[in-house]
Amino acid sequence: MNIETRNIIKTYQEKTVLNLEDKNRNLLFGSGKIHGIIGPNGSGKTTLMKIMAGLIAPSAGDVLYNGQSLDQDILSVMTYSTHTPTLFSRSVYENIAYPLKIRKRDKDEIHQIVSQLLEEFEIDDIRDQSARHLSGGEAQKTALARALSFSPQVLFLDEPTANIDPKSIQIIEAALQKRNCEQGLSIIIITHNLSQAFRICNHLTFLDQGSCLFSDTPEKIMASDHPIIDEFISFNRF
Amino acid sequence: MDYILNGFVEAFRLIFSFDPEIIQIVLLSLFVSFSSTLYGTLVGVPLGILLGINNFKGKKMVSRFLYTFMSFPPVIIGLFTALFLARSGPFGQYQLMYTSTAMIIAQTILVTPVIMGIVFNHASTSGYEVVQAGKTLGAQGWNILILLVLELKGVIMIALVTGFGRAISEVGAVMIVGGNIRGFTRVMTTFIAMNNNMGQYSVSIAMGLILMTISFLTNSVLYHFIIGDQNEYRD
Repeated sequence: MNIETRNIIKTYQEKTVLNLEDKNRNLLFGSGKIHGIIGPNGSGKTTLMKIMAGLIAPSAGDVLYNGQSLDQDILSVMTYSTHTPTLFSRSVYENIAYPLKIRKRDKDEIHQIVSQLLEEFEIDDIRDQSARHLSGGEAQKTALARALSFSPQVLFLDEPTANIDPKSIQIIEAALQKRNCEQGLSIIIITHNLSQAFRICNHLTFLDQGSCLFSDTPEKIMASDHPIIDEFISFNRF
Repeated sequence: MDYILNGFVEAFRLIFSFDPEIIQIVLLSLFVSFSSTLYGTLVGVPLGILLGINNFKGKKMVSRFLYTFMSFPPVIIGLFTALFLARSGPFGQYQLMYTSTAMIIAQTILVTPVIMGIVFNHASTSGYEVVQAGKTLGAQGWNILILLVLELKGVIMIALVTGFGRAISEVGAVMIVGGNIRGFTRVMTTFIAMNNNMGQYSVSIAMGLILMTISFLTNSVLYHFIIGDQNEYRD
Protein backbone atom coordinates (compact mmCIF):
# COMPACT_ATOMS: atom_id res chain seq x y z
CA MET A 1 0.00 0.00 0.00
CA ASN A 2 1.35 3.41 -0.96
CA ILE A 3 1.14 5.96 1.83
CA GLU A 4 1.45 9.62 0.97
CA THR A 5 1.48 12.59 3.33
CA ARG A 6 -0.14 15.83 2.13
CA ASN A 7 0.89 19.06 3.85
CA ILE A 8 0.79 17.61 7.35
CA ILE A 9 1.11 19.85 10.39
CA LYS A 10 0.78 18.74 14.00
CA THR A 11 0.68 21.17 16.90
CA TYR A 12 0.48 20.45 20.63
CA GLN A 13 -0.56 23.33 22.86
CA GLU A 14 0.33 25.88 20.16
CA LYS A 15 3.78 24.34 19.60
CA THR A 16 4.37 22.89 16.14
CA VAL A 17 6.00 19.47 16.50
CA LEU A 18 5.67 18.40 12.87
CA ASN A 19 5.56 20.60 9.79
CA LEU A 20 5.46 18.89 6.40
CA GLU A 21 3.34 21.63 4.86
CA ASP A 22 5.58 22.63 2.01
CA LYS A 23 4.73 20.89 -1.27
CA ASN A 24 8.20 19.42 -1.66
CA ARG A 25 8.07 18.02 1.88
CA ASN A 26 5.22 15.65 1.09
CA LEU A 27 6.45 12.10 1.70
CA LEU A 28 5.76 8.90 -0.19
CA PHE A 29 6.09 5.57 1.57
CA GLY A 30 6.12 3.12 -1.30
CA SER A 31 4.28 -0.18 -1.29
CA GLY A 32 6.31 -3.27 -0.41
CA LYS A 33 9.29 -1.31 0.88
CA ILE A 34 11.07 -1.12 4.20
CA HIS A 35 11.08 2.58 4.88
CA GLY A 36 13.16 3.92 7.77
CA ILE A 37 12.54 7.16 9.64
CA ILE A 38 15.60 8.50 11.41
CA GLY A 39 16.54 11.70 13.20
CA PRO A 40 17.36 13.09 16.64
CA ASN A 41 15.01 12.85 19.64
CA GLY A 42 12.08 15.24 19.42
CA SER A 43 12.28 15.50 15.64
CA GLY A 44 8.66 14.35 15.12
CA LYS A 45 9.29 10.75 14.04
CA THR A 46 6.77 9.13 16.40
CA THR A 47 4.21 11.87 15.74
CA LEU A 48 4.49 11.28 11.99
CA MET A 49 4.18 7.53 12.45
CA LYS A 50 1.15 7.80 14.75
CA ILE A 51 -0.57 10.08 12.25
CA MET A 52 0.07 7.62 9.41
CA ALA A 53 -1.11 4.72 11.59
CA GLY A 54 -4.34 6.60 12.30
CA LEU A 55 -3.67 6.82 16.04
CA ILE A 56 -3.67 10.62 16.17
CA ALA A 57 -5.18 13.16 13.81
CA PRO A 58 -3.03 15.82 12.12
CA SER A 59 -3.80 19.46 12.97
CA ALA A 60 -3.78 20.16 9.23
CA GLY A 61 -3.17 18.17 6.07
CA ASP A 62 -4.04 14.61 5.16
CA VAL A 63 -2.60 11.14 4.63
CA LEU A 64 -3.62 9.13 1.57
CA TYR A 65 -3.52 5.35 1.39
CA ASN A 66 -3.40 4.23 -2.24
CA GLY A 67 -4.95 7.62 -2.97
CA GLN A 68 -7.79 7.21 -0.44
CA SER A 69 -8.46 8.78 2.93
CA LEU A 70 -8.23 6.63 6.06
CA ASP A 71 -11.23 4.41 6.76
CA GLN A 72 -11.97 1.25 8.76
CA ASP A 73 -11.01 -1.06 5.88
CA ILE A 74 -7.57 0.55 5.64
CA LEU A 75 -7.14 0.53 9.43
CA SER A 76 -7.89 -3.19 9.53
CA VAL A 77 -4.86 -4.03 7.33
CA MET A 78 -2.36 -1.85 9.22
CA THR A 79 -0.77 -2.34 12.61
CA TYR A 80 1.62 -0.54 14.93
CA SER A 81 4.09 -1.71 17.56
CA THR A 82 6.46 0.21 19.82
CA HIS A 83 9.53 -0.55 21.92
CA THR A 84 7.26 -0.43 24.98
CA PRO A 85 4.44 -2.66 23.72
CA THR A 86 1.13 -2.91 25.54
CA LEU A 87 0.70 -6.64 25.97
CA PHE A 88 -2.58 -7.88 27.35
CA SER A 89 -2.77 -9.60 30.74
CA ARG A 90 -3.08 -13.10 29.34
CA SER A 91 -0.61 -15.71 28.11
CA VAL A 92 1.89 -15.14 25.31
CA TYR A 93 -0.12 -17.57 23.15
CA GLU A 94 -3.38 -15.71 23.80
CA ASN A 95 -1.75 -12.36 23.02
CA ILE A 96 -0.59 -13.58 19.62
CA ALA A 97 -3.95 -15.22 18.97
CA TYR A 98 -5.94 -12.07 19.83
CA PRO A 99 -6.00 -10.39 16.36
CA LEU A 100 -7.07 -13.70 14.81
CA LYS A 101 -9.80 -14.30 17.38
CA ILE A 102 -11.42 -10.90 16.82
CA ARG A 103 -11.35 -11.69 13.09
CA LYS A 104 -13.23 -14.89 13.93
CA ARG A 105 -10.67 -17.20 12.32
CA ASP A 106 -11.07 -20.95 12.63
CA LYS A 107 -9.66 -22.46 15.85
CA ASP A 108 -7.31 -24.87 14.03
CA GLU A 109 -6.06 -22.09 11.77
CA ILE A 110 -5.37 -19.89 14.82
CA HIS A 111 -3.43 -22.71 16.48
CA GLN A 112 -1.37 -23.33 13.35
CA ILE A 113 -0.49 -19.64 12.80
CA VAL A 114 0.33 -18.96 16.45
CA SER A 115 2.45 -22.12 16.76
CA GLN A 116 4.47 -21.12 13.68
CA LEU A 117 5.05 -17.62 15.07
CA LEU A 118 6.07 -18.95 18.49
CA GLU A 119 8.64 -21.15 16.80
CA GLU A 120 9.86 -18.45 14.40
CA PHE A 121 10.39 -15.93 17.20
CA GLU A 122 11.86 -18.61 19.51
CA ILE A 123 9.34 -17.96 22.27
CA ASP A 124 7.68 -21.36 22.26
CA ASP A 125 9.04 -22.11 25.74
CA ILE A 126 7.12 -19.14 27.21
CA ARG A 127 3.85 -19.71 25.32
CA ASP A 128 1.83 -20.27 28.51
CA GLN A 129 3.59 -17.60 30.57
CA SER A 130 1.71 -14.42 31.46
CA ALA A 131 2.70 -11.62 29.07
CA ARG A 132 3.01 -9.32 32.11
CA HIS A 133 6.12 -11.16 33.28
CA LEU A 134 8.33 -11.03 30.20
CA SER A 135 11.79 -9.59 29.69
CA GLY A 136 12.23 -6.71 27.24
CA GLY A 137 13.29 -8.95 24.36
CA GLU A 138 10.53 -11.50 24.98
CA ALA A 139 7.94 -8.74 25.13
CA GLN A 140 9.19 -7.22 21.86
CA LYS A 141 9.13 -10.57 20.08
CA THR A 142 5.65 -11.35 21.44
CA ALA A 143 4.36 -7.94 20.33
CA LEU A 144 5.81 -8.35 16.87
CA ALA A 145 4.48 -11.89 16.51
CA ARG A 146 1.05 -10.56 17.54
CA ALA A 147 1.28 -7.74 15.01
CA LEU A 148 2.22 -10.15 12.21
CA SER A 149 -0.31 -12.85 13.12
CA PHE A 150 -3.11 -11.49 10.93
CA SER A 151 -0.80 -10.78 7.94
CA PRO A 152 -1.22 -7.00 7.75
CA GLN A 153 -0.30 -5.08 4.59
CA VAL A 154 1.44 -2.27 6.47
CA LEU A 155 3.50 -2.55 9.65
CA PHE A 156 4.53 0.53 11.64
CA LEU A 157 7.38 -0.07 14.09
CA ASP A 158 8.65 2.50 16.57
CA GLU A 159 12.13 1.38 17.66
CA PRO A 160 11.25 -2.32 17.72
CA THR A 161 14.74 -3.45 18.71
CA ALA A 162 15.61 -0.80 21.31
CA ASN A 163 17.38 -2.23 24.38
CA ILE A 164 17.24 -5.88 23.38
CA ASP A 165 19.94 -8.49 22.85
CA PRO A 166 21.67 -9.06 19.46
CA LYS A 167 20.13 -12.53 19.02
CA SER A 168 16.61 -11.13 19.41
CA ILE A 169 17.44 -8.28 17.01
CA GLN A 170 18.58 -10.87 14.47
CA ILE A 171 15.34 -12.86 14.86
CA ILE A 172 13.19 -9.73 14.50
CA GLU A 173 15.06 -8.43 11.44
CA ALA A 174 14.90 -11.83 9.76
CA ALA A 175 11.14 -12.03 10.36
CA LEU A 176 10.62 -8.55 8.91
CA GLN A 177 12.76 -9.15 5.84
CA LYS A 178 11.11 -12.52 5.21
CA ARG A 179 7.60 -10.99 5.17
CA ASN A 180 8.75 -8.03 3.13
CA CYS A 181 10.26 -10.31 0.45
CA GLU A 182 7.68 -13.10 0.47
CA GLN A 183 4.44 -11.24 1.19
CA GLY A 184 5.25 -7.72 0.04
CA LEU A 185 4.63 -6.35 3.54
CA SER A 186 5.25 -2.58 3.68
CA ILE A 187 7.26 -1.71 6.78
CA ILE A 188 7.80 1.76 8.17
CA ILE A 189 10.32 1.68 10.96
CA ILE A 190 11.72 4.29 13.33
CA THR A 191 15.21 3.43 14.49
CA HIS A 192 18.17 5.06 16.19
CA ASN A 193 20.34 2.18 15.09
CA LEU A 194 21.90 3.44 11.87
CA SER A 195 23.58 0.16 10.99
CA GLN A 196 20.16 -1.48 11.25
CA ALA A 197 18.64 1.25 9.07
CA PHE A 198 21.29 0.70 6.37
CA ARG A 199 21.00 -3.07 6.76
CA ILE A 200 17.26 -3.50 6.22
CA CYS A 201 15.80 -0.28 4.76
CA ASN A 202 15.31 0.50 1.05
CA HIS A 203 14.47 4.10 1.77
CA LEU A 204 15.25 6.55 4.58
CA THR A 205 13.58 9.76 5.72
CA PHE A 206 15.51 12.11 7.96
CA LEU A 207 13.49 14.38 10.26
CA ASP A 208 14.82 17.24 12.35
CA GLN A 209 12.76 19.63 14.51
CA GLY A 210 9.54 18.54 12.84
CA SER A 211 10.79 19.02 9.28
CA CYS A 212 11.94 16.57 6.65
CA LEU A 213 15.54 17.26 5.66
CA PHE A 214 16.04 14.31 3.36
CA SER A 215 14.11 11.36 1.95
CA ASP A 216 15.94 8.99 -0.38
CA THR A 217 17.93 5.77 -0.53
CA PRO A 218 20.38 4.94 2.30
CA GLU A 219 23.30 5.38 -0.13
CA LYS A 220 22.23 8.91 -1.01
CA ILE A 221 21.62 9.89 2.59
CA MET A 222 25.14 8.67 3.42
CA ALA A 223 26.52 10.87 0.68
CA SER A 224 24.56 13.91 1.87
CA ASP A 225 26.60 16.96 2.79
CA HIS A 226 23.82 18.48 4.91
CA PRO A 227 25.57 19.49 8.19
CA ILE A 228 22.80 18.18 10.51
CA ILE A 229 22.59 14.82 8.73
CA ASP A 230 26.35 14.59 8.60
CA GLU A 231 26.61 15.26 12.34
CA PHE A 232 23.84 12.75 13.14
CA ILE A 233 25.48 10.03 11.06
CA SER A 234 28.90 10.71 12.61
CA PHE A 235 27.49 10.34 16.13
CA ASN A 236 25.41 7.23 15.40
CA ARG A 237 27.53 5.35 12.96
CA PHE A 238 29.07 2.83 15.36
CA MET B 1 -7.76 -3.29 81.70
CA ASP B 2 -10.08 -6.02 83.05
CA TYR B 3 -13.14 -4.53 81.41
CA ILE B 4 -11.46 -4.78 78.00
CA LEU B 5 -10.53 -8.45 78.53
CA ASN B 6 -13.98 -9.21 79.92
CA GLY B 7 -15.39 -7.40 76.93
CA PHE B 8 -13.56 -9.75 74.55
CA VAL B 9 -14.65 -12.87 76.51
CA GLU B 10 -18.27 -11.68 76.48
CA ALA B 11 -17.93 -10.76 72.79
CA PHE B 12 -16.93 -14.32 71.81
CA ARG B 13 -19.81 -15.69 73.91
CA LEU B 14 -22.23 -13.36 72.08
CA ILE B 15 -20.89 -14.28 68.65
CA PHE B 16 -21.24 -18.01 69.24
CA SER B 17 -24.66 -17.65 70.88
CA PHE B 18 -26.02 -16.73 67.42
CA ASP B 19 -28.29 -14.03 68.85
CA PRO B 20 -31.15 -13.42 66.33
CA GLU B 21 -30.81 -9.64 66.74
CA ILE B 22 -27.09 -9.73 65.98
CA ILE B 23 -27.72 -11.95 62.92
CA GLN B 24 -30.45 -9.57 61.70
CA ILE B 25 -28.14 -6.55 62.11
CA VAL B 26 -25.30 -8.27 60.25
CA LEU B 27 -27.59 -9.35 57.41
CA LEU B 28 -29.09 -5.85 57.08
CA SER B 29 -25.60 -4.32 57.04
CA LEU B 30 -24.51 -6.71 54.30
CA PHE B 31 -27.70 -6.10 52.30
CA VAL B 32 -27.37 -2.29 52.47
CA SER B 33 -23.64 -2.30 51.70
CA PHE B 34 -23.82 -4.85 48.89
CA SER B 35 -26.79 -3.03 47.32
CA SER B 36 -25.09 0.37 47.41
CA THR B 37 -21.86 -1.15 46.04
CA LEU B 38 -23.82 -2.80 43.24
CA TYR B 39 -25.58 0.45 42.26
CA GLY B 40 -22.33 2.38 42.65
CA THR B 41 -20.63 -0.13 40.34
CA LEU B 42 -23.34 0.07 37.68
CA VAL B 43 -22.92 3.85 37.55
CA GLY B 44 -19.26 4.29 38.50
CA VAL B 45 -17.52 1.67 36.33
CA PRO B 46 -18.94 2.65 32.90
CA LEU B 47 -18.66 6.37 33.68
CA GLY B 48 -15.11 5.98 35.02
CA ILE B 49 -14.04 4.07 31.88
CA LEU B 50 -15.82 6.50 29.53
CA LEU B 51 -14.33 9.60 31.15
CA GLY B 52 -10.92 7.96 31.54
CA ILE B 53 -10.28 6.79 27.99
CA ASN B 54 -11.61 9.92 26.28
CA ASN B 55 -9.76 13.21 26.14
CA PHE B 56 -12.02 16.23 26.36
CA LYS B 57 -11.93 19.83 27.45
CA GLY B 58 -12.44 20.13 31.20
CA LYS B 59 -11.16 16.62 32.00
CA LYS B 60 -8.83 18.01 34.67
CA MET B 61 -11.73 19.82 36.32
CA VAL B 62 -13.82 16.63 36.25
CA SER B 63 -10.99 14.69 37.90
CA ARG B 64 -10.65 17.34 40.62
CA PHE B 65 -14.37 17.16 41.43
CA LEU B 66 -14.24 13.37 41.37
CA TYR B 67 -11.30 13.15 43.76
CA THR B 68 -12.99 15.69 46.08
CA PHE B 69 -16.16 13.58 46.17
CA MET B 70 -14.09 10.47 46.91
CA SER B 71 -13.24 11.91 50.31
CA PHE B 72 -16.54 13.66 50.98
CA PRO B 73 -17.59 13.38 54.66
CA PRO B 74 -20.38 10.79 55.08
CA VAL B 75 -22.32 12.98 57.52
CA ILE B 76 -22.59 15.71 54.88
CA ILE B 77 -23.90 13.16 52.36
CA GLY B 78 -26.28 11.88 55.03
CA LEU B 79 -27.44 15.42 55.77
CA PHE B 80 -28.16 16.29 52.11
CA THR B 81 -29.84 12.93 51.49
CA ALA B 82 -32.02 13.52 54.56
CA LEU B 83 -32.93 17.02 53.33
CA PHE B 84 -34.14 15.57 50.03
CA LEU B 85 -35.95 12.57 51.55
CA ALA B 86 -37.50 14.30 54.58
CA ARG B 87 -41.27 14.70 54.59
CA SER B 88 -41.03 18.37 53.56
CA GLY B 89 -38.23 17.68 51.01
CA PRO B 90 -38.53 17.22 47.22
CA PHE B 91 -38.90 13.42 47.57
CA GLY B 92 -40.87 13.48 50.84
CA GLN B 93 -43.96 11.97 49.22
CA TYR B 94 -42.15 8.62 48.81
CA GLN B 95 -41.72 8.29 52.59
CA LEU B 96 -38.22 6.86 52.33
CA MET B 97 -36.73 8.52 55.39
CA TYR B 98 -35.70 6.05 58.13
CA THR B 99 -35.87 3.07 55.80
CA SER B 100 -33.19 0.75 54.45
CA THR B 101 -33.84 2.26 50.99
CA ALA B 102 -32.76 5.68 52.30
CA MET B 103 -29.59 4.07 53.68
CA ILE B 104 -28.87 2.45 50.31
CA ILE B 105 -29.40 5.80 48.54
CA ALA B 106 -27.01 7.62 50.91
CA GLN B 107 -24.36 4.90 50.67
CA THR B 108 -24.68 4.74 46.88
CA ILE B 109 -23.95 8.48 46.74
CA LEU B 110 -21.00 7.81 49.03
CA VAL B 111 -19.41 4.87 47.17
CA THR B 112 -20.08 5.85 43.54
CA PRO B 113 -17.32 8.50 43.42
CA VAL B 114 -14.91 6.08 45.12
CA ILE B 115 -15.49 3.35 42.51
CA MET B 116 -15.64 5.85 39.66
CA GLY B 117 -12.46 7.64 40.78
CA ILE B 118 -10.36 4.48 40.99
CA VAL B 119 -11.58 3.20 37.61
CA PHE B 120 -11.18 6.67 36.04
CA ASN B 121 -7.61 6.97 37.28
CA HIS B 122 -6.51 3.65 35.75
CA ALA B 123 -8.59 4.02 32.60
CA SER B 124 -6.88 7.38 31.97
CA THR B 125 -3.45 5.74 31.94
CA SER B 126 -3.37 2.03 31.18
CA GLY B 127 -6.91 2.00 29.74
CA TYR B 128 -5.96 4.48 27.04
CA GLU B 129 -2.94 2.35 26.06
CA VAL B 130 -5.09 -0.79 25.91
CA VAL B 131 -7.60 0.95 23.62
CA GLN B 132 -4.79 2.12 21.34
CA ALA B 133 -3.21 -1.35 21.26
CA GLY B 134 -6.58 -2.96 20.54
CA LYS B 135 -7.28 -0.54 17.70
CA THR B 136 -3.90 -1.18 16.07
CA LEU B 137 -4.73 -4.90 16.04
CA GLY B 138 -8.09 -4.32 14.37
CA ALA B 139 -10.44 -4.28 17.37
CA GLN B 140 -13.39 -1.92 17.35
CA GLY B 141 -16.75 -1.39 19.09
CA TRP B 142 -17.68 -4.27 21.42
CA ASN B 143 -14.27 -5.90 21.03
CA ILE B 144 -12.61 -2.79 22.46
CA LEU B 145 -15.07 -2.64 25.37
CA ILE B 146 -14.64 -6.33 26.22
CA LEU B 147 -10.86 -6.01 26.00
CA LEU B 148 -10.89 -2.95 28.24
CA VAL B 149 -13.08 -4.56 30.93
CA LEU B 150 -10.92 -7.71 30.92
CA GLU B 151 -7.70 -5.68 31.16
CA LEU B 152 -9.09 -3.49 33.94
CA LYS B 153 -10.79 -6.33 35.84
CA GLY B 154 -8.22 -6.20 38.64
CA VAL B 155 -8.74 -2.47 39.08
CA ILE B 156 -12.51 -2.86 38.90
CA MET B 157 -12.38 -5.52 41.63
CA ILE B 158 -10.19 -3.28 43.79
CA ALA B 159 -12.65 -0.41 43.25
CA LEU B 160 -15.56 -2.66 44.28
CA VAL B 161 -13.89 -3.83 47.47
CA THR B 162 -12.79 -0.29 48.35
CA GLY B 163 -16.35 0.91 47.76
CA PHE B 164 -17.76 -1.95 49.81
CA GLY B 165 -15.26 -1.20 52.59
CA ARG B 166 -16.32 2.43 52.65
CA ALA B 167 -20.00 1.44 52.72
CA ILE B 168 -19.86 -1.19 55.44
CA SER B 169 -17.62 0.85 57.74
CA GLU B 170 -19.60 4.07 57.38
CA VAL B 171 -21.70 5.35 60.31
CA GLY B 172 -22.55 9.05 59.79
CA ALA B 173 -24.82 8.87 56.74
CA VAL B 174 -26.76 5.74 57.76
CA MET B 175 -27.27 7.15 61.25
CA ILE B 176 -28.85 10.32 59.83
CA VAL B 177 -31.08 8.79 57.12
CA GLY B 178 -31.70 5.44 58.85
CA GLY B 179 -32.17 6.61 62.41
CA ASN B 180 -30.72 3.40 63.95
CA ILE B 181 -34.21 1.94 64.54
CA ARG B 182 -34.05 -1.46 66.23
CA GLY B 183 -35.17 -4.24 63.92
CA PHE B 184 -35.47 -1.92 60.90
CA THR B 185 -32.48 0.29 60.19
CA ARG B 186 -29.94 -0.71 62.81
CA VAL B 187 -26.68 -1.78 61.18
CA MET B 188 -23.34 -2.89 62.61
CA THR B 189 -21.71 0.53 62.77
CA THR B 190 -24.70 2.33 64.34
CA PHE B 191 -25.07 -0.60 66.76
CA ILE B 192 -21.43 -0.25 67.85
CA ALA B 193 -21.70 3.54 68.24
CA MET B 194 -24.90 3.25 70.28
CA ASN B 195 -23.64 0.52 72.63
CA ASN B 196 -20.35 2.34 73.14
CA ASN B 197 -22.30 5.42 74.25
CA MET B 198 -24.28 3.22 76.65
CA GLY B 199 -21.10 1.68 78.10
CA GLN B 200 -21.92 -1.83 76.80
CA TYR B 201 -18.44 -2.57 75.54
CA SER B 202 -18.77 -6.35 75.17
CA VAL B 203 -21.48 -6.14 72.51
CA SER B 204 -19.59 -3.32 70.80
CA ILE B 205 -16.45 -5.47 70.73
CA ALA B 206 -18.44 -8.47 69.47
CA MET B 207 -19.92 -6.49 66.61
CA GLY B 208 -16.52 -4.87 65.93
CA LEU B 209 -14.96 -8.34 65.60
CA ILE B 210 -17.68 -9.43 63.18
CA LEU B 211 -17.19 -6.25 61.14
CA MET B 212 -13.42 -6.77 61.02
CA THR B 213 -13.88 -10.43 60.04
CA ILE B 214 -16.14 -9.46 57.14
CA SER B 215 -13.62 -6.84 55.97
CA PHE B 216 -10.78 -9.35 56.29
CA LEU B 217 -12.65 -12.04 54.36
CA THR B 218 -13.61 -9.63 51.57
CA ASN B 219 -10.05 -8.39 51.18
CA SER B 220 -8.64 -11.91 51.39
CA VAL B 221 -10.85 -13.05 48.55
CA LEU B 222 -9.74 -10.06 46.47
CA TYR B 223 -6.07 -10.64 47.27
CA HIS B 224 -6.26 -14.32 46.47
CA PHE B 225 -7.97 -13.94 43.10
CA ILE B 226 -6.63 -10.64 41.79
CA ILE B 227 -3.73 -8.99 43.57
CA GLY B 228 -2.00 -12.23 44.57
CA ASP B 229 -1.91 -13.30 40.94
CA GLN B 230 -0.41 -9.97 39.84
CA ASN B 231 2.23 -9.95 42.59
CA GLU B 232 3.46 -13.48 42.05
CA TYR B 233 7.21 -14.00 42.17
CA ARG B 234 9.07 -13.00 39.04
CA ASP B 235 12.47 -14.36 38.16
